[in-house]
Amino acid sequence: MAQSTDHVVDQVAQLNAARSLVLGDAALYPQIVNGILPIIGANARLELRRWGADFLAETFSTPALAAAQKQQLAPTVLQSIQDTLALPETDTAVLSSLVQTVASLYPLIFRHIVNHAEDTKTWETINAIKQEILRNMDSFPCPVKICCVKFLQRVVQVQTPGLIADPRRPDQNETSLAVVPRNHALLAIPQLEAESSGLLDRLLGVFQEETSDPLIVNATLNCLSPLIRTRQSIANKIINTILEFYPAKHVRPPFTPTVRVGVKSMERTSRAMLFNVMKKNPSHPLMGKMQAYIERLMQSRFEITDDASRKRGLPTEPTDGLDNAKRARLDAMTPPLLNIPPLPAGPTSFDQLFTITQDIGLSSFDVKQLPPDLVVKITVPLLTQVNQSLLTQAVDAIRNRYETITKEQNLKRQQLHQAATAAAADDDDDYEPDYEPVDAGANVPEESTALTAEDAELEPDLVSLGPFVLPQPPPLTEEQAGDVGRSAVSRVFSMIDAVQTTPSPAQSKNQQELGFARLAGSTFDRDAWVVLLTRLATRAPAGLEGSDKAKADKRHPTISDSIRETLYRYILEDFRARLKIGITWLNEEWYNDRVRMKAANSERGVEDEEPIVSLYYDTWVLRLLDGFLPYLDSRDIKVLVRFLSEIPEVTIAIIQRVASLAKDPERVNLTVQALMYLIMFRPPAREMCLNTLEDVYQTYEESRPAAGKVLARWRPEALPAPAETAPAAPQTEVQAPAAST
Amino acid sequence: MAAYDPRVNTASQDPPPPPPPPPESAISEMPSTTTEDVEMATANAATIVAGANSDTPTDSWKLKFCTVCASNNNRSMEAHLRLSAAPTAFPVISFGTGSLVRLPGPSISQPNVYQFNITSYNQMYEELEKKDPRLYRNNGILSMLDRNRNLKWGPERFQDWTPGQPRLEHISKGDKGALGTEGGVVDVIITCEERCWDAVVDDLMNKGNALNRPVHVFNVDIKDNHEEALVGGKAILDLANRLNESAVSQRQAHGSAGWENGSGAARLSFDESVPEILAEWQEKHPNLPALWTLAWL
Repeated sequence: MAQSTDHVVDQVAQLNAARSLVLGDAALYPQIVNGILPIIGANARLELRRWGADFLAETFSTPALAAAQKQQLAPTVLQSIQDTLALPETDTAVLSSLVQTVASLYPLIFRHIVNHAEDTKTWETINAIKQEILRNMDSFPCPVKICCVKFLQRVVQVQTPGLIADPRRPDQNETSLAVVPRNHALLAIPQLEAESSGLLDRLLGVFQEETSDPLIVNATLNCLSPLIRTRQSIANKIINTILEFYPAKHVRPPFTPTVRVGVKSMERTSRAMLFNVMKKNPSHPLMGKMQAYIERLMQSRFEITDDASRKRGLPTEPTDGLDNAKRARLDAMTPPLLNIPPLPAGPTSFDQLFTITQDIGLSSFDVKQLPPDLVVKITVPLLTQVNQSLLTQAVDAIRNRYETITKEQNLKRQQLHQAATAAAADDDDDYEPDYEPVDAGANVPEESTALTAEDAELEPDLVSLGPFVLPQPPPLTEEQAGDVGRSAVSRVFSMIDAVQTTPSPAQSKNQQELGFARLAGSTFDRDAWVVLLTRLATRAPAGLEGSDKAKADKRHPTISDSIRETLYRYILEDFRARLKIGITWLNEEWYNDRVRMKAANSERGVEDEEPIVSLYYDTWVLRLLDGFLPYLDSRDIKVLVRFLSEIPEVTIAIIQRVASLAKDPERVNLTVQALMYLIMFRPPAREMCLNTLEDVYQTYEESRPAAGKVLARWRPEALPAPAETAPAAPQTEVQAPAAST
Repeated sequence: MAAYDPRVNTASQDPPPPPPPPPESAISEMPSTTTEDVEMATANAATIVAGANSDTPTDSWKLKFCTVCASNNNRSMEAHLRLSAAPTAFPVISFGTGSLVRLPGPSISQPNVYQFNITSYNQMYEELEKKDPRLYRNNGILSMLDRNRNLKWGPERFQDWTPGQPRLEHISKGDKGALGTEGGVVDVIITCEERCWDAVVDDLMNKGNALNRPVHVFNVDIKDNHEEALVGGKAILDLANRLNESAVSQRQAHGSAGWENGSGAARLSFDESVPEILAEWQEKHPNLPALWTLAWL
């Protein structure tokens, strides 16, 4: 007997040595697993079965071994597990470990079957094991039942469609129903899904039982999070089930301490689980419900009173010699009294007013001698250590002093005033030689002069501070000024973004009502800022920057140019929506050009040569057009027509740009329609446009059907004789290239 | 702070042999645990007696523990010391849940901050000793770090832990309590603050429960100072002993026959007995509010 025990001890020691090996080098797992399977099988002794079950659970869960290798190894151990279960195994430890192992194995085997539809035997074995576990789940001892909960969760996770992260690399995707091919020989998707739905109900059933077992409830709650996270189709069902679950309702009196522990733990675990979900997905549709649930959970706390009584009392002695803050103040300290010396008699200076110390050396020390940074260094740490009560006392004392002094002064001023009026009366009286002032009256002026003298001394000290003049800042260099200007501009741009949101209907109605009475930039919405910007670019620096524009450095563009550049980019970022801004801007530019030309004309003398005014409009309208033309597609006719119709001036260069669109067969109609619009509704540009249209007609044959119609109406002479064209359309097509070349 | 030294020395002598006589220091310091010592002794005796029986386990199986606080320095390390230096010498690992290791500095706004996983206790010790030996000796930081560097290499962050990843190197580094945790799994996690419990439970959910292995997660609320850590460490050891006793007896009472022979809590399986054990423990330690759940590694 003893010998066999020794034998087992030896064997376990050997097995442990083998385990140390694989822990050190995961590559040895296949070899070791195959080596130990016969030793730990169904007929082995209990110690060996326990060891084996633990080892298998470890093997198939360890992150050290790659999933692919585990998958290869998985089918080899199934038979042994099935045999052990069929014993039937009665040892709780072995059973727990085996169920853990199967929970880890299930996804691996499932994956294996997905790729090896021919391996019927393995699929049958794992199914038999699954049925065996599910059948016995309710009769298993508690620790095994807990592991069964996790097994259920695993099966549900595998047999529910998950996310396909990358359809091109099926091996990278998580194992779920989604990786099963529709025509798989062994795995019938609807059947598996139905099974998992049933198992999910079984898993969640624990929340509906009348009396809950905290162990099972907690075990379930703690394993639901991955399901909610990765299985969209069942997430809401799970959350809703939990939202119906109030732990305190699922217990029966008596409320023993054990029951309290259980309820508290279920409450805290459901809270933790929902928090986890909410953190993962802050915009969850059930967010509000979850928050309400958590609040209700906290309010209906089973143990509110109980907890309060259990709160830790004050420590009987200071817990740490150093943390005074944490120590309770048992006896309120009577604050030391501050000794406030009375003010010296006579007029008071500020110095005297604020001095409370009686130390001569201190009060005569001139702080101005210290550099300010040193004063700060000393003062700040000092302030943090000032005794609160002393500070209050000192402030009160100074306030008292100050109030006394002001009171005295007011009194004196009143007296002075009276004395002055009296004196004035006195002056008048001088003209009345008959008047003899009484004795009492005679005293007043004397006293008052004494007061004025005293007052003259007091006043400048306490009342008048004198004007304070800010020193002139150093002049900015041109470069700095430019930088400041540009930063101001960028802030205005940020304002546009800030009011980007569409105005409320009420507001826009308001705006419409304004009509012609509107004042640009008065509404403080986005439009107002745009107007402000365009005017900043065009008018504000007009005449300031223009003069020396010739020598303007390329590297330091003028402010107005930088605004233009920014506006340009801003519009191009989303030209369909921001075209309106562009039109406003170009109108401002054009107007500005006129104004400057006019000004230049009026300034020039008779003999002066023609003034040179650089025109911004022409440059920028072309840039803007060039900027968005390439991005126009064939349906953007409205954008183009709007632009062409609302810009203040249409030039040949613009029309040519539009004509160039006809190079693209898809956008030919865009050109023709835009030109037709201009011909019809912009008489000044009509000739120009007709010429261009004729060119287009000649050059690009795709334009002919549409352009022909327009020309027929507006310039019939440009068309070949109608008799020829109509029947011989193909012929013209043949001729056209010849004509254009 | 000198109170640390004797225990550090007993801990650093060498890993205590499996069934050692209870060290004198443990008895004198922990009057409250003498009953547990006796209980443990009987449990050990039972194991030895059972060992003679051919059909009972002969391995010295124990629960594996993990202690967690914010910085893996004070509370979790005190508990780590207690558990690894106990007569039963539990397998134990420890972690912090904070983003950084924070130790008190010259003022409340100037903590000393270190990175988890890459700074050793020894580095911290030497750095602080150089900075201001008087301050850090007086506030107990140096003796705490000294204790810690005798226990394991450095603070580890819970969120960076991969359960199931072998921890062989911790054995070779001589970490106390590393024997038995080489598989990188534990049966019980004990946190020292509710915040940490929340963080641990949340992080285990985030890790995806890949191991399918149940783990009991307890919280024992301990204030973060040396004295409370001492009290809390004792209480945690008490809890650990109670849990282990139940788990060991479940393992011995294999099969239905053995199970029938137990009585009371022993009749229940280990997992089932946990709420009861915690409730009893809470009665005895009313000042350390506790919390528990069953989570997954």
